[in-house]
Amino acid sequence: MRGPAAARSGGLDPGSAPLPLLRRIAALLLVAVLAGCGSTSPAAGSTDDPGPLRIGAIPDQDPEVLQRLHGTVADSLSTALDLDVEYVPVTDYAAAVSLFRTGDLDLVWFGGLTGVQARLQTPGAVPIAQRDIDEDFHSVFVVNAGTGLAPSDDLTPLGDLRFTYGSETSTSGRLMPAYFLAEQGVDPEGFPGGPGFSGSHDATLSLVASGSYQAGVLNEQVYESRAAAGEIDPAVVRYARTPAYHDYHWLLGPRAVERFGADLPDRLTGYFTGLSADVPADAEVLELFGAGSFVPTEAANYDQIEQIGRDLGLVN
Amino acid sequence: MTTVLDRAAPPAARLHRDRRRWAWALAGVVLVGWALAGSGLFSGPVLNPAGAGQAGRFLSAALRPELDGGFLRVVAGSTLVTLAYAVLGAGLAVLLGALAAVPVSRTAWGGRRTGWLLTRGVLALPRGLHEAVWGLLLVNVLGLDPWVGVLAIAAPYGAITAKVFADLLDEVPRGSYDALLAAGAGRGTAALYGLLPAASGGLLSYSFYRLECAVRSAVVLGLIGAGGLGYQLALSFTSLRWEQVWTTVYALALLCLLADVGGRAVRRRVAAPRRTGYRRDPLPAGAVLAVVAGVGWALWYLALSPAALVSARTREQLAYLGSAAWPPAVDGELLGDVWSTALDALRMSVLAIAFAAAGAVALAALAARPHGPAGPVRRTAGALTRLALLLLRAVPPPVWALVLLFVLLPGVLPGALALGVYTLGVLGRLVGEAVEEADRRPAEALRAMGSSPVGRWLYGSAPALAGPVLALSLYRWEVAIRDTVLVGLLGAGGIGVLLSARTSAFDWPAVTTVLAAIVLLTFLVDLVSDRARAALR
Amino acid sequence: MAAGERVAVVGASGAGKSTLLNVLNGAVTPAAGQVRVLGRDPTALRGRELRRLRARTGTVHQHLELTGALRVVHNVNAGRLGSWPASRAAWSLLRPQDPGTVRDALGRVGLADRMYERTDRLSGGQRQRVALARLLVQQPDLVLADEPASALDPALADLALGLLGDLATGRGGALLACLHDPALALRHCDRVVGLAAGRVVLDAPARSLTVVELERFYGVTR
Repeated sequence: MRGPAAARSGGLDPGSAPLPLLRRIAALLLVAVLAGCGSTSPAAGSTDDPGPLRIGAIPDQDPEVLQRLHGTVADSLSTALDLDVEYVPVTDYAAAVSLFRTGDLDLVWFGGLTGVQARLQTPGAVPIAQRDIDEDFHSVFVVNAGTGLAPSDDLTPLGDLRFTYGSETSTSGRLMPAYFLAEQGVDPEGFPGGPGFSGSHDATLSLVASGSYQAGVLNEQVYESRAAAGEIDPAVVRYARTPAYHDYHWLLGPRAVERFGADLPDRLTGYFTGLSADVPADAEVLELFGAGSFVPTEAANYDQIEQIGRDLGLVN
Repeated sequence: MTTVLDRAAPPAARLHRDRRRWAWALAGVVLVGWALAGSGLFSGPVLNPAGAGQAGRFLSAALRPELDGGFLRVVAGSTLVTLAYAVLGAGLAVLLGALAAVPVSRTAWGGRRTGWLLTRGVLALPRGLHEAVWGLLLVNVLGLDPWVGVLAIAAPYGAITAKVFADLLDEVPRGSYDALLAAGAGRGTAALYGLLPAASGGLLSYSFYRLECAVRSAVVLGLIGAGGLGYQLALSFTSLRWEQVWTTVYALALLCLLADVGGRAVRRRVAAPRRTGYRRDPLPAGAVLAVVAGVGWALWYLALSPAALVSARTREQLAYLGSAAWPPAVDGELLGDVWSTALDALRMSVLAIAFAAAGAVALAALAARPHGPAGPVRRTAGALTRLALLLLRAVPPPVWALVLLFVLLPGVLPGALALGVYTLGVLGRLVGEAVEEADRRPAEALRAMGSSPVGRWLYGSAPALAGPVLALSLYRWEVAIRDTVLVGLLGAGGIGVLLSARTSAFDWPAVTTVLAAIVLLTFLVDLVSDRARAALR
Repeated sequence: MAAGERVAVVGASGAGKSTLLNVLNGAVTPAAGQVRVLGRDPTALRGRELRRLRARTGTVHQHLELTGALRVVHNVNAGRLGSWPASRAAWSLLRPQDPGTVRDALGRVGLADRMYERTDRLSGGQRQRVALARLLVQQPDLVLADEPASALDPALADLALGLLGDLATGRGGALLACLHDPALALRHCDRVVGLAAGRVVLDAPARSLTVVELERFYGVTR
């Protein structure tokens, strides 16, 4: 770990130190680092050892499958790009954004809104790729059968029900549904007792099934996969489907480009778009993400999300 | 032979009610009434019987936890991570607490009250924020460094430990300390020889108690992404894989149990030292050695490097956070939200404590280990009660919140009950221990006089336990108001909802305001609880 | 023991005095031998019957088993728990029942002015007198006293033993007191029983003994 030590030793001039004592302690501790017990630092600025490419994902769909099978993605990416790839587990949307900003995560699978938040906080971040289904993503509104509501495109009856979103910064479980509700004149924050935030798509389904919340909204992809597995409680009625919007995408941080070279974004885009369902190793990755294929994307695809995020006070 | 002594007839005694106590009792009743009124319990239905099936799925999964080999390996590894965080966090907290205890003790300040109050006020900041909130803030400065988990535990625990250590030092009899000062010893030396030996038992007991708590805190930190059991639990919890959730809960319960048993053994021995002559008693010494070895192992296991704390990146992120978070937001809408959610949090904490205290008292007789021989039915019932309490506190409050939300309509109540159930797990054990340690002689004497069991309880046990139970409940109230943030982070009401909303929107100025409000709220609850306990003494 | 008899039990520490009292009030079941208390065997009784017997036995303990957190009046009234129904016992904690009797009993031990104080605010001697007042209110037939005068000054010690003796013999009952002070034993009791290692080694009328003889029994040499 000579890299980080060398990088930091430049800051050890006691004359310029605002906190001389701290600096001295730091100097002492550096000895220990040089002795070989230091951990890998993501802040490495040296070029001879760029360290691993750290990838992560927001815990959105099947997080326990995604996070526990992370080896699949990391291995595939590592083989394809001849890079050292490390998968970093994250359980919290906001934490993923913060870790992207601090440089602990280089390449992250973000939702539409979290991607915008991360990009705005991290100048130089670039969108790499999205899934085929992300260009045409939908959410579904569900209601408890006890409400007696029949499927419809009219969202106004939902305004009088106890209603839960998923995570607060979920694009499909909060942001876009709130936008479409507002479009039809329903105050997205005005549900009786205020909207709930179940925390996950599965929790939304369960809460609506229980009837504690009479209605909710979730990612269509999750809904479909639960429906296909026969896991949806008969008390849950699919009520409406939102219009299409852009959602998930891979976002690359600027520090990774510094470390791995300016061609990294293109190499990554090439890797993702090149994944083919016909190659068994690739198919495994695609299946993990529930994708047919990955396609290129650009920042402009998320302008609408950014605007809605600003309107709802979720983007500052 | 009536009055033999020729002492002047004293004035007839009159029954005085202690006004102060009655005022506190009345205030307590009003507070609980206010909280109940605000919970919606009287204004409409709160139950949602249709959700019983969903809650039942959670409960029935307790009997069939996930036992797949791969998953068990993951859980075993995570248990070690949690243990490492707990040991390091508690170890650092005890170190910080011991260092800070001297400057915050009354002894050190003598008659200068202002200085003493000021130092105590400084402690309110780290103490007022929950470990999870510290974790959230530290992730933004330190990123993925293991220091996040360690410091998140050490900051609030260190402050609490400093306060408790200072109180212990202040309560030690001062005779030998004063004598040493009079004999010309310096203050430090006098404290070392005159105060420390007398206080060391209490200090050691409390340190081990903090280790037990740190295990549970380390899990909560995992929930927000610091790894370990909490992380595995969070993953399984988001997809509602209850079988997996229970496996992690059992692993956590086991860890808690080990810490409980070890800590209890040390506390017992400290309370009733064994005579070993000149040699040291092997149990406390061994326990301390084991903890020191554990700290060494944890340092290696987590690869904790002090360099990360002072790295350029840390400074950069600290500067970023500082400039983003200052000045705090003070717009009227936010302040209104802060006020109303703070009231909700207060309601939740009051309801939680009322529920937990009532439950703990009801279960106390069963939870306490029987004194002397007991039949197999009593022993089994006692063991089952203690196991149930262990599980109640091993399941983190956010999980309770979701499960209760299945059977209760949304509002303050599910969050309050979630906290209440969790607190019952902690308080039930503490009250059970108070029962075990209570003086049995008054009740035995009443039995010898032919009193009925009810009479014995009323005149012998209850009066002696009322004080400790109320004091413990008030103390847990301080903890519960901090914990409301925890259920709020997952959307069960209270000021935590606001904090969660503002942090996920990265609205740092508003976050500063909300955090300040939380610290203030905790500080006020601390103050009230402290006064109430003083009135009870 | 005969009705109206006052017996002093003497013996060095650990001779078995407290054990004897505990056997008599039913707190300890003897491993061998027979026990007869007020004509009944406490080890053979259960439930209500046992409680009735115990209500007729009054014990003053060495360690003063009063409830410190209660006011004096409640601790004295606790002497009546054997005869009060639970509801009255509970109500009395809010509104002390029969305060006249309590005041009277406390008056006899010189503590009438402390009636409403918290018991743990009293000195050791005062607490011992509260325990005596409790006994006065209980009106037992058999009084068992374990060092009832240990924390009292000589004048109060005389008062205490006098009270106990009156209490027991006045109603045709009996007093059994473990005592350390030979002079007190001789002054207030009719009969002296000496214990050593759990066995009776002395049983004589008080009149036939002198203080010096008894002191020798305790191991005092002059």
